Parts: sequence; structure tokens; C-alpha cells
Amino acid sequence: MIQPLTDAKPYTLTPGSNGVIETQTLEVSIGPQHPSTHGVFRMDCVLDGESVVALKPVMGYLHRNHEQLAERMAWLGSMPYTDRLDYFNSMTNNWAYALAVEKLAGIKVPDRAEYIRVIMAELTRLLNHSCVIGFMLQDLGAWGTPLLYAFRERERILDLYEAVSGSRMMCNYMRFGGVRVNLTDENLATAKDIATRFPRFLDEFEKLLTNNEVLLARTQRVGVLPKELAINAGISGPMARASGVDYDLRKVDKYGVYGRLEFRVPLGDIGDVYDRYYIRVLEMRESIKILQQALRDIPQGPHIAPEVKLRNFKIPPGDGYGRIEGPKGELGFYLVSDEGGKQPYRYHVRPPSFINLTILEDMCVGHKVADVVVILGSVDIVLGEVDR
Amino acid sequence: MGFIGKGLFEGMVVTARNFVGSYFDKERLVTVQYPEERVQVPENSRTFPFLVFDKDSDPVASMRCVACKICEVECPPQCIYIVMDRDEKGKPQQRPKVFDIDISVCMQCQICVEVCPFDAIKMDNNYEKSQYGRFDELVEHLPELLKSNEFYNKIKPTEATAVDAKLKADAEKKAKKAAPAAKPAATAAKPAAPAAPKPAPVAAPTAKIAIPDDAPFTPEQRQWLSGYLSTVAASGVAPAAAAPVAGTPAAPATEAPAGNWPWHDPGLGMQRRLDLAKETPIADKLMAAMAQTDCHACGYDCRGYADAIATGAETDLSLCLPGEAETANMLKKLMQEAGKL
Repeated sequence: MIQPLTDAKPYTLTPGSNGVIETQTLEVSIGPQHPSTHGVFRMDCVLDGESVVALKPVMGYLHRNHEQLAERMAWLGSMPYTDRLDYFNSMTNNWAYALAVEKLAGIKVPDRAEYIRVIMAELTRLLNHSCVIGFMLQDLGAWGTPLLYAFRERERILDLYEAVSGSRMMCNYMRFGGVRVNLTDENLATAKDIATRFPRFLDEFEKLLTNNEVLLARTQRVGVLPKELAINAGISGPMARASGVDYDLRKVDKYGVYGRLEFRVPLGDIGDVYDRYYIRVLEMRESIKILQQALRDIPQGPHIAPEVKLRNFKIPPGDGYGRIEGPKGELGFYLVSDEGGKQPYRYHVRPPSFINLTILEDMCVGHKVADVVVILGSVDIVLGEVDR
Repeated sequence: MGFIGKGLFEGMVVTARNFVGSYFDKERLVTVQYPEERVQVPENSRTFPFLVFDKDSDPVASMRCVACKICEVECPPQCIYIVMDRDEKGKPQQRPKVFDIDISVCMQCQICVEVCPFDAIKMDNNYEKSQYGRFDELVEHLPELLKSNEFYNKIKPTEATAVDAKLKADAEKKAKKAAPAAKPAATAAKPAAPAAPKPAPVAAPTAKIAIPDDAPFTPEQRQWLSGYLSTVAASGVAPAAAAPVAGTPAAPATEAPAGNWPWHDPGLGMQRRLDLAKETPIADKLMAAMAQTDCHACGYDCRGYADAIATGAETDLSLCLPGEAETANMLKKLMQEAGKL
């Protein structure tokens, strides 16, 4: 039962003694079945005229009991389920889970596997960011054009995913101690081709959008997230960096081989929707740099640590937290192993979408209701990850 | 040099270039008219699992699946259901009677393929599996699941070639291993040997004792064995005469060369296997109680699991999946008899 946010006043059209018609606030439920909510998500808005007075995000429509499911099956069994968290970025989800288990079990990952992981993660970042921009423009009313251009590029990356892992989106590619299938020279050539082509697409994309007056008018100074608030609310990923928080786990943790790769972390200064758009464009440019370095440096060797067993994989008691910089922010898995160690005693996901969404009301209050969908679009959520 | 609407105008130029380009440039025209045109799926592409069999003449007998149930246990969404086939006496047949995959539950994760030690289950790449119903139509049974090795070779040539090579190497290794190990066993079988059904053509003219036709020996080994046995028989020395049961090794199994376990044959029934292991130490008896598939479902091969139980390293007696309750109960009984439980 959703409690109304305000006390409803009786509606009247009779002008008061001063001749002004008395008005009341209106509670509007956007979603759960609404195209601009990016899935089954509901926003309980209280409107004064067209302005938002209060907003309450309502989650849980896509709850699948992910964490409890993982606690009843073997360590490997929940790997394919992580694909279904943020179904745009199954590769990075796999990586975060594998990293947590590797930390807990003390597994060393071969160099080639680390490079393959970096390549896959950066390709994922490219496809996620370009599609997110497309979806945000879709919410703005740019029907289809930017989104379909983004999808056209994304398809090349998904083709590579399918050739390597067997599936376009539900890759289930990473394994504890490495990756499931080695990259062939042909796959590497495709990845190189994508890395050389993508900047051209990005230039075109930017020409279409960056200086577009409609986009500027609709996004600048809209949904401002101040730096202090972003830090206090635990926001991570491009959203935090758009507000000027210099926090990128690839630099902070240097997990994988990110310590060996050269790249910069772009930062915004205002933290409005436009910054969040442009940060993603700049991050894609950095991702291409990382990709090119990784494709140049990738060594030969095994793609998976040979000592890791596929079945009857046991982890000594203990707990561990593995986190990576996913395209949406800090994606972490907290795992506890107990006696026996056949399956996790506790399995917790720290989903970036969910935590970034908690700040939605602070960004929306005071703006028009039409801006709410744009602000939501700029947060970059996937409901599979929000609700788990 | 800017003017109002410059950004918009530039955007329009981009869309115009894409629109016009889609008529000339393959890069910009990416649509495929699906039912008429089809995209070639990559070799690695996966949809739903199928079971591989080797001989077209008899798919059921030549299927690689031994119903060890590893995939049933490991399947994350639990969409596989297996019942082992048994003959009228209840002897396991090392193949599934029922093998169902609920493809409305299957999430195409390929874990069944990865954990299968027999290369029996593989991923198909058929993406057109729509059905008219939502219930029984979406459960695939054994007849639909069985596909030939040729089909597997056709859809995934690289992978299938590697698997075929591996299986062939394994078979050769097994044959090589079986040959030396068979020597003492054959020696032990001497008292029973004269009762062999019919004398096999043997190269050595003095041979009086024949090796059964179906014994897994190369001609050279056969020749050597026949000669050896005949000599032994002629000299009147019966090295294995003390063996009470035909086929039981004269020496305790611990002294026998590795791999010499007459009960290690999945075709034998439980009682027969235990009879063969009657006079042996507890570890061998435990091993005889297992399903003998060496499927590693328990995390060991049959020998390893038996040793682990005997030494106390493994306390769980219910790990033998293909042996089902029969093995678990027998293990418990044996352990109780030995006073270890």
C-alpha cells in the first residue's frame, strides 16, 4: 500500500475572497507500465501545476530473489544469473562476481585472461554508454534516431560477444580464474576493427547531439546533483564524476591490469543532465584508448588458471568484497563462505543503478514533470539490477 | 562562426547522410529481412542443449550419456530431469530412460556442457524453436534431444573435431591401460579358463587354453597370454588355484597393479560386483558398491572416492549420483559392517 505523500485537500473551483482560485497538489503515478521508466519502475510524483513537489521512487516490480537463489547453489551456478542483473552489461557483471570469488579463494588470474577481461569490459562500456545516451534522447523526444544509431554500433560489439561467448547478451563468459573461451586472432581483429571504427561513429554522434540547441535547452541546469550530495548519497560511476567527484575504481583499486594502462578520468563541474551526457561521451573516448592499448599489449598464454575446478569448487570460510567500475558505477559483490564452502553463506550485490536511483527526488524537485523522465534517463538504470 | 540553429542544422546533415547513405553504403544499411534472409550464426553461438549419439543405426545404444546426473545436479535453474534405464532385474543400463529438458526453464547457460565428463551434452544453435503450446510442447524428451555426432560436427566443426580427437585419445589410452592390467587377471582366471565357450584361433600351436574372443587384447598380447597360460597349465603349477572365486585376483587388490579391479565394469550388477570384491579390503568393497562410471560426480573417480571414504577423508556417503540410493545404502552397510560408522 503506497501512502499518499500529502494530505489531499478538497478540490474546489470557487474563487476565494481575494478572487484567486484555490488549487491543490496532484499525485501522479508514472509507471510501472510507462515507456520512459526504462522497465517496471514507478515514480510517485506530487505535482503543483507542472512542477514536482515530491517524488518517491517505487521499486521491486522485477524482484527475482537473485541473492537468495545464489545462496542455494554452487559458486559457479550463480554466474549465469549475474548476466541477468544488468542485462546490458553481462560481461562486467561476470567480472565483478568472478573478482569477488577470486579474492575470497585467493586465485591468481593469468595475464592474458586479465587483458581479455579489460577488452570485454571496455567494449561493454562503449555499448552501454552509447545506448544510454540513445535512451535519454528517446526520453527527450528524439524518437529513435540517436538510439538506433547507437544500436547499430552496439550490434557490432554484440556480434563479437556472440562469436566469443556464444550469446549476444547473456554471455556467461568469465570463470573463476579467467575466462571460458580464449580469444582467437580473428576475434582480436574484430575487436581492433571496432576500436578503430568507433571514434568515427562517436564524432558523428556528437555532431548530431552535442551542440544541438534543443538538447542544450532541455538538459543544461536540469537535475543538478551537487558534489557534496553525490558523495553523501554514495553515488558512483559517471553520475558521480559528472558532479566533479574524482572517483574511478579503475584508478582507485587498479584491479585487473588497469594499473598498466594509460587513461584519464573525465570530470564534470555542474552535475546537470548535460554533464552526465557529455561525461559518457568522454568516457567512451577514454575507453577506446584503453581498448587500443589492451589489444596492442595482450600477451599469449593460458586464458584460465588451470588449478581451478569447475565442479566441487570449495572456498575456505571467510568473507570478501570484490568491486569493479561497471559502466553504471561501482558494482560490488560481498560474499561470505562458511563451513563446507560449497555455496555462499551470504551473497550480496551492491548495484550501482539502485544506489544512484536513491537520489532521484533531490534532483527532480522544482523541475517540470517533463524533466523527470530526462533526469531518470540520465541516471542510467536497468531495472534488473535495481530490483534483483 | 555560429548562428542560431547551427547545432540543429549539423544534426540534420548527419541524419540526411545516414538516410541517403543507407541506399548505397552497406555500413549504414544493417537491416536484415529476417524470414527471407538469415544471418549466419557464429560457430560458438548457443541456444538449447542436445544429446550426442555416435551411430546412426542405433541412437539409443550409442548415445554418450551414461545417466550420471551431473548435469541434473549442476543445472542452475534445475531444468533437467533424468531417470536411469534399468533392465527387468533392476540392473542399471548406463543410459537414461528419461531425459527431459524443460526449455521454458532452461536459460542457455551452457553449464551442463561444461560439467559433462562424457562430452554427451552439447549446445545447439537452432534459434527457431517456437511451439504452439506453452506446457508439454516446451519439454523436450529423449527422442527430440538425441542428435547425431555428424550433426554436431556440422554445426560446430572446430569444437566437434577437438572433442572427437579427445574421445579417440581417451579410448586408446584406456585400451593401452587395460592390456597390461589384464595379465594377472587372466592368470587368476585360469581355473575357469578351460570352461571358455569355444577355443579361439591362437597362433601358438601348443595352446590348449583359449582367451575369449571378446577379451580386449591385441593379437600379440593374445598370443603371449595363450602361450603363458598353456605353459602354466602343462607344468601343473596353478598359481591362482587358491583363488576361491573365478575372476578374483589371487593377490589382494592393494598389491595388484593399478587399474586391476574386475568389478570396475559398469555393466555388472551390484551383487556381482560385490561378489568379485568379497575377499578384498574395505576400500575395494566400497569401490565395488559404486556405479563404476568414473564420472567424477562425487569429485573423485570411483577409486578415489572409495579410498577417501575408507581413510575417513570423505564422510558424505551420498555423493555417488549414478549409483543412486542403491550405492548410498550399500556404502552405509559396508561401513557399518566394517565398524567404521
